[in-house]
Amino acid sequence: MVDPARTPRETPAQAPVHRRVPGGRLLRGYYRVLRANVLSFVGFILVVAIVLVALLVVLAPHLLVRYGATQETGVYSGAPTLFRWPPSFAHPFGTDGSSLDLFSEILLALPLDLGIALAIAGFALLTGGSLGLIAGFFDRPGTVEGYASAVILRTTDVFLAFPSLLLGLAIVAALGPGLWQVMLAILLTWWPYYVRLVRGEVLAVKHLPYVTAARAAGVHEWRILLRHVLRNVLEPVVVYFTLDIGTVLVTFSTIAFVIPGVVSYPRPPEWGSMLSFFNLNYAISQYWWEVAFPSGAIFVTALAFSLLGDGLRDVLDPRTRRAMVESVAAPSPPPEAPELGGPAATSPSPSASMPEGM
Amino acid sequence: MGRSPGDLAIFVGRRLVQLLPVLLGVIVLAFLVTHVAAIDPCPRWYPKASPSTLALCEAQFRAPLLNQFARYFTQLLDGNWGTSQLGSPVLPAIAADAPATLELVLTALLLMVVIGIPLGVVAAQYAGRWPDHLVRVLYLSGWATPTYVGAIIAVVYLAHPLGLPMSGDFGASPPFAQRTHLSVLDALLAGNLPFAADAVGHLILPACVLAFINMGIATRMTRASMLEVLPLDFVKSARMKGLSNVVVLYKHALRNALITTTTVLGVTAGELLAGTVVVEEVFGWPGIGAYAFQSMGGTGQPNFDGAIAVVVIFALGVVLANLIADILYGILDPRVEWR
Amino acid sequence: MTEPVLSIEHLSVDYQIASGVVRAVDDVSLTVPSGRVVGIVGETGCGKSTLAQAIPRLLPEPPARIASGQVIFRGTDLVRVPARRLPLVRGTGIGMIFQEPLNSLNPAVKVYDQVAEAVLIRQWRDAGILPTFRGGPNPFDYSGRPLPEAAQVLSRPILPGGPAAERARRRLPGRLGVRREVLDFLRLVRIQDPETILDCYPHELSGGMRQRIMIAMSLSERPSLLIADEPTSALDVTIQAQVLTLMKELIDETQASILFISHDFGVIAEIADDLGVMYAGRLVEFGPVADVFRSPQHPYTKGLLRAIPERYKSEGPLAAIPGSVPNLSRLPPGCKYHPRCPLAQAVCREDPPPELTRATAAVGETHRSACHFPEGVAGLP
Repeated sequence: MVDPARTPRETPAQAPVHRRVPGGRLLRGYYRVLRANVLSFVGFILVVAIVLVALLVVLAPHLLVRYGATQETGVYSGAPTLFRWPPSFAHPFGTDGSSLDLFSEILLALPLDLGIALAIAGFALLTGGSLGLIAGFFDRPGTVEGYASAVILRTTDVFLAFPSLLLGLAIVAALGPGLWQVMLAILLTWWPYYVRLVRGEVLAVKHLPYVTAARAAGVHEWRILLRHVLRNVLEPVVVYFTLDIGTVLVTFSTIAFVIPGVVSYPRPPEWGSMLSFFNLNYAISQYWWEVAFPSGAIFVTALAFSLLGDGLRDVLDPRTRRAMVESVAAPSPPPEAPELGGPAATSPSPSASMPEGM
Repeated sequence: MGRSPGDLAIFVGRRLVQLLPVLLGVIVLAFLVTHVAAIDPCPRWYPKASPSTLALCEAQFRAPLLNQFARYFTQLLDGNWGTSQLGSPVLPAIAADAPATLELVLTALLLMVVIGIPLGVVAAQYAGRWPDHLVRVLYLSGWATPTYVGAIIAVVYLAHPLGLPMSGDFGASPPFAQRTHLSVLDALLAGNLPFAADAVGHLILPACVLAFINMGIATRMTRASMLEVLPLDFVKSARMKGLSNVVVLYKHALRNALITTTTVLGVTAGELLAGTVVVEEVFGWPGIGAYAFQSMGGTGQPNFDGAIAVVVIFALGVVLANLIADILYGILDPRVEWR
Repeated sequence: MTEPVLSIEHLSVDYQIASGVVRAVDDVSLTVPSGRVVGIVGETGCGKSTLAQAIPRLLPEPPARIASGQVIFRGTDLVRVPARRLPLVRGTGIGMIFQEPLNSLNPAVKVYDQVAEAVLIRQWRDAGILPTFRGGPNPFDYSGRPLPEAAQVLSRPILPGGPAAERARRRLPGRLGVRREVLDFLRLVRIQDPETILDCYPHELSGGMRQRIMIAMSLSERPSLLIADEPTSALDVTIQAQVLTLMKELIDETQASILFISHDFGVIAEIADDLGVMYAGRLVEFGPVADVFRSPQHPYTKGLLRAIPERYKSEGPLAAIPGSVPNLSRLPPGCKYHPRCPLAQAVCREDPPPELTRATAAVGETHRSACHFPEGVAGLP
């Protein structure tokens, strides 16, 4: 495993600076960050739209969802049944084999899938992030905390050796099918990525002069960690979290697809199990809408979060941000003073801050 | 300077030694998942077993944990990786299927490198302008597509119009002995060109699906490290020598940027292996991934031992890929000391 | 009088930044005569590095843009040359040395390979295998002239094969010859026992050694013009002296024309024949170096010279120029220096900034300054 501590990420002069900005300027700064890249702005708009739709479905379902999961579509004059009806004006996404309106099903599944992804990624962030903070900050060998850090690291390495999908599948196979089991399985495979990410960030910030100064002033170690180090770690972690939501969603739906009966359809409606259920029981090429629209929903949601996260990562990762200054319009003066970065400026260091596992 | 061939042996050796705890951890984790985390496993795993078999199974699970682990560990080393429900042993089945997966994964990796890395260079060269946005939309679309969706779309909508076959690795049974079990290689070694072409035709679409979905990792990383490298003075020096833009980018800049890109080899291998589970099943490719899919109950025949065995094998594959990446990094970056 | 190697006329370079357009180089005109060293001096942010990198069009085009002007190198306006032809001019036409030798050598390539690459480029260009740059009004037009062999190669696709390329290749020294030439150039820059460093990587060598290798690499292509962008600024003072001595000797030996950028007056005084002073993107004074030192014709130059700490002077504070360098996006009207100038009058603020013209009658034709009141400079403390 490449050790992120082997080559330092950057010299202290270029590391992120602890900023304390009053609220208004901060928001405007983030807005400008979003606008910097066309794609990230598109992603941002899409994400906002998706979240709004999800909220609407939860709070006021009758506005968008015409047929709830409990309702049948009813009988239309002239058609004996709406079993597997192709997309039409009344049913924009068609109907499925249980005569349920696909448009409604997909909308009803949106808050659930979004919530699942957010929950899993959020818990992984909390657990993995806390462990990463400890492992990165208290790593002096020979002390109790140092020993704990080593244990955390080795365990993380072992977990990271398993491709997340496969470990998730194995855990689901062990625990049995069910929504909570799958969520737990994915959570157990996801937290190690956050440990590595946060640890890398902490390592980069740990030796900065102001941390040493705080220590010299007598500030307690835990306080340093929580007040000073944590703030600088947050930015890249939030970016990674945004990207992760899409990835978790795709992984969850893939598990629901591979293991039959994991999440029973139609209740609760969920995009991945829609595809699995259809796949098992019905021919795909004849009824393309049954595959196209749920997978389209997954694709659009994951793409939106990925666009947003990837665009943000460009702006918030100090290395690529510095590099982008040279090539695009950016709020920075022309490069007059030559870069006085030492060896760290030239060494393409392994990505301690942004594990590129997307 | 610490980089002689003898030093390389020490470097590789040290990395191998560092592998061992991870390997042990992998086995321990697999054990924990199968024997500790499993809730009431016996009736679920062996639904068709007789009551006496069930009783035997449950007796095993009531034994002390350390005994269970000892038994598990020795079984693994013996080569007894369990059996499927019908009684066919897992390890020989996996060993027979492994080369096919290897062929698929290596081809996908090759495609990712050949297509993804130049795309990353182009994206870095035109950072912030439309080629960059196009490349980004391309690889993010791949990333956002669930593997099975991509595979199904490819099979249903691409295979037929392109005249490509939809399943298997050969159209008919090959008339030559399969020595390496890598379909294309075997056909070439046997000198049988029509079968080689047939093998390539079967291989290309699943490999492309795998590559397209996971291309983002390599492209993204290449772009990021190229962006880091391009403003540096040595690129300007290379231009001032009078070299053309292509030579400057691909011979000088990329040479440095690729060093960092090797660090994502481990993650890439993991994602590719995970992707084979679905891709092989959809394309009918006879590899470990399809075996895993069927073991997970995809076709109604759950095979728990088989599933866990595949997971362990894939974990070993990822560990190996990380080792190779680490060694590659040490070789490519002249600043790394080998001793 | 032979034609100057480089003639910059009214060059302006703009940068596109988020809040608008910034003019980093404003209407700069200067000439580098053949065989002379022209120094450019100025504070950080005055545009000298931008000027240096704009000449061979090394600036990244999207944020930077050559807004107007001409850069005439051996008769060809480099601003008009299409981008894909630029590699022909660089290397054997114009060479460049950068400030930070660790960054300017490829960290992943051995020293021998880097210098050998430069040697090979020159050999292949001399032999006609690679197209090269021929100075003149339109170097790429061969209509109506008997084609020299190199031009025949130029107008063909560059692929090996054919009698001319074959004959050319046979004239090449071969791998041993390349190695011999690499060693020659390394010895030229006073590296002892160059064989020992051939297999080294840049990070294994000292800063002074790396800078020498950079110089060797540039010189091995025998450029007509060498641009040195603060080559000694990142070195220790003792190494700085060594490298400067080396460069002076090389200038004598090779008759190269050099454009030397620095912020250090002492370095410039050592090496330059002519001196230009830049402030906020404009050239405010230009003349023979001794004249400029002895009788500066611009208050900024006078202020800079006065601010140099003199040895053994122990009385009083250091004489600094009041105020600070203006932000290039918020430049003062009129003469850019007038807020800090002791000679400033109303005309300095209201009228457009003065052109670089003949200074007072007391100095020669070649000594020019961009000031409304150059005669007042001599009276400044």
